[in-house]
Amino acid sequence: MSIPMTGRISLEQAKSLVELLESDQQETADALFAEIQNPINSELFAEIGKLTRQLHDSLTNFHVNSRLNDLTMTDIPDAKERLNYVITRTEEAANKTMDAVEAIFPVVDTMAEQVKSVNPSWTKLMNNDLEVKEFKSLCLDIDILLKNTGKETRHIHDLMTDVLMAQDFQDLTGQVIRKVIELVIEVEESLINMLTAFGISAESTQEKALPKEGKSLLEGPIVNRQGRDDVVADQDDVDDLLSSLGF
Amino acid sequence: MKVLVVDDFSTMRRIVKNLLRDLGFTNIQEADDGNTALPMLQRGGFDFVVTDWNMPGMQGIDLLKAIRADANLSHIPVLLITAEAKKQQIVMAAQAGVNGYIVKPFTASTLKNKIDRIFERLA
Repeated sequence: MSIPMTGRISLEQAKSLVELLESDQQETADALFAEIQNPINSELFAEIGKLTRQLHDSLTNFHVNSRLNDLTMTDIPDAKERLNYVITRTEEAANKTMDAVEAIFPVVDTMAEQVKSVNPSWTKLMNNDLEVKEFKSLCLDIDILLKNTGKETRHIHDLMTDVLMAQDFQDLTGQVIRKVIELVIEVEESLINMLTAFGISAESTQEKALPKEGKSLLEGPIVNRQGRDDVVADQDDVDDLLSSLGF
Repeated sequence: MKVLVVDDFSTMRRIVKNLLRDLGFTNIQEADDGNTALPMLQRGGFDFVVTDWNMPGMQGIDLLKAIRADANLSHIPVLLITAEAKKQQIVMAAQAGVNGYIVKPFTASTLKNKIDRIFERLA
């Protein structure tokens, strides 16, 4: 009897299977069942095999890239700390410098005031035009000026040393930032390796990313001014642009 | 003349304050973003605003727009001092009614020139 095969199993095969099972021939039944399944299985197994290999390769690659795990778990939080350190140190340096400068301003202003107050009498003296009484007063003023200047120049000297010392942030933050740059390079390489592992070309993702309007409108200090025509070069450019707008 | 200096970085506020003091402005107050600045301005008495652009909370450009939109404040001159240097942004600030635009880093004499210019034009 021959019934056309429309499904995965023919009536004939099914009948044989039932016969075998009824006559308790389990092994032969299993063999027949496997034979019936075979065309499906071979495709399926091939597909599962392929997927398994891919999964295995990917996992191996991930294993190689376990450095990526260290990077996200340890190095990047560490880098955040380092960058916060840079903010703290630069802020400290700026404040230390301004403390000193703000302390110097009034001292210099006082000295300038004293010089100014002595100046008229001094000019008279130089022109042999000073009376004895005025001369005595001038001597007292000059005495104060000299004592004060002597004391304050030492004070200013110390404050200037503070300004000088505050500049040590450059060395310290420079070292820290260099470390973070190394980390960024390493993360970049790991990510490119990962893209390669998934068969995505890193090149195809390297579209020129220029800031767009909206959230990314704000860019902060322009660090790559060269070769950009969407930014101004300096204050003169700003002034030119504004005057072209009628400012 | 009462001045409000708006910047999220205290060091920059301090620099601007020192420079303004040198230019003869003695009554200076500070705010760290637009959200803090606007209520201070609305309480009245300010004659001049110097603001940064990029700040958490309310940005400088939005503070400028809010000042221009408020009938009680719209007359106050606003000077932007910012690291933002895109032409598009400068045009945007001009359209929003800014009185001066200084890009960071800037010098004391640039600040003096721009402020002189602003008050010359208002006089």
